[in-house]
Amino acid sequence: MNLMANILLNVLIAFLVGSVLLGLYRKVVARVQSRPGPPIIQYLLHLLKFYIKESSFPKTAAMPFYIGIASILMVIWISAVIVGPVTQGSLLIIFGIYAIHKIVEHNAGSSSGSPYGKLSCVRAVYSAAAEVPLFAVLVIIYLKTGSMGISDIINYQAVNGPLLYAIPLAAAMYLVLIISKAQYTPFSITKGKDIVSGYETEHFGLLRGYLMISESIMWYMLLWIFLTVFLGPISPIAYIIGMVGITVGIAFISATSPLLNPNHSVILQIIFAIIGIVGSILMLNVL
Amino acid sequence: MDRNGIISSIVFIISIISIIYALIFNPANWIIIGISIVGIPLSVLSLGLIIMARAKKDEEEDRRREPFIGY
Repeated sequence: MNLMANILLNVLIAFLVGSVLLGLYRKVVARVQSRPGPPIIQYLLHLLKFYIKESSFPKTAAMPFYIGIASILMVIWISAVIVGPVTQGSLLIIFGIYAIHKIVEHNAGSSSGSPYGKLSCVRAVYSAAAEVPLFAVLVIIYLKTGSMGISDIINYQAVNGPLLYAIPLAAAMYLVLIISKAQYTPFSITKGKDIVSGYETEHFGLLRGYLMISESIMWYMLLWIFLTVFLGPISPIAYIIGMVGITVGIAFISATSPLLNPNHSVILQIIFAIIGIVGSILMLNVL
Repeated sequence: MDRNGIISSIVFIISIISIIYALIFNPANWIIIGISIVGIPLSVLSLGLIIMARAKKDEEEDRRREPFIGY
């Protein structure tokens, strides 16, 4: 297939699947809390509504940075789609994309001029201290497979079986990272309810829709990386089942657990990271 | 059309033309990747800026004068 067509198709799939999964997420959270909840396509409808809504830009916003930062979020996650499903490139680039995502959270908050955005901006820096070590999961994958290339990792698993069984603590670390990106989970301090919508508070109307499109691609990509890196070569149906399973699982966590304050959230994530890194290295040496 | 509308239209047309160019002529991979990374986000943003709802002229004046009514 033509590379451009391949990229467009994968971006479209990532957007549609991601937005339906985020809709499912809200539905499951609502059902667990004995509420009827919105329809599964609500996220998609919400996003489209915002996309065509009349928008105005706050006087306090740092223009054009305020708009540019929303574009950067989409740029990085489209890059992730290209590095992931399209070209199966290096996990190192995914790590870079994740690091830039933290910068986007930080700068989107600070560019708006909103106090809630600024609090979220501080929390983004704070949480990076915990989430970046969690992403060190990639080092463990490298130590196990001898490569950072996604295609190499898939081939390794085709021969040796899923990495999920070989380095389960690394998989758990990555799962904690996904949890930190979901809404209203104990670790999602940058978008906690106490600061309204965090760094997105002053991005409303068109820009909110734009951010939501990027976030649906992000959700799809985080799950795709997990399934590809820890389960290896699986069919598209298995991808869908896996993505739905993880989304439902995280929705349960979100619905039944409190929002931690930033200190507790970061400390808990650092503890997970230490247990994951030390435990995985010990397992690699023992097994 | 206001200045934002004109700029958005130009950006949208350029980004769509670049995407169509990459689809039809299949240039080198790095060019296609560059077009995807820049062209897709710009086309989505500029399309949004073009089609988003706009306040009517008389409403616009009211909003500017009393921006915090109802809070």
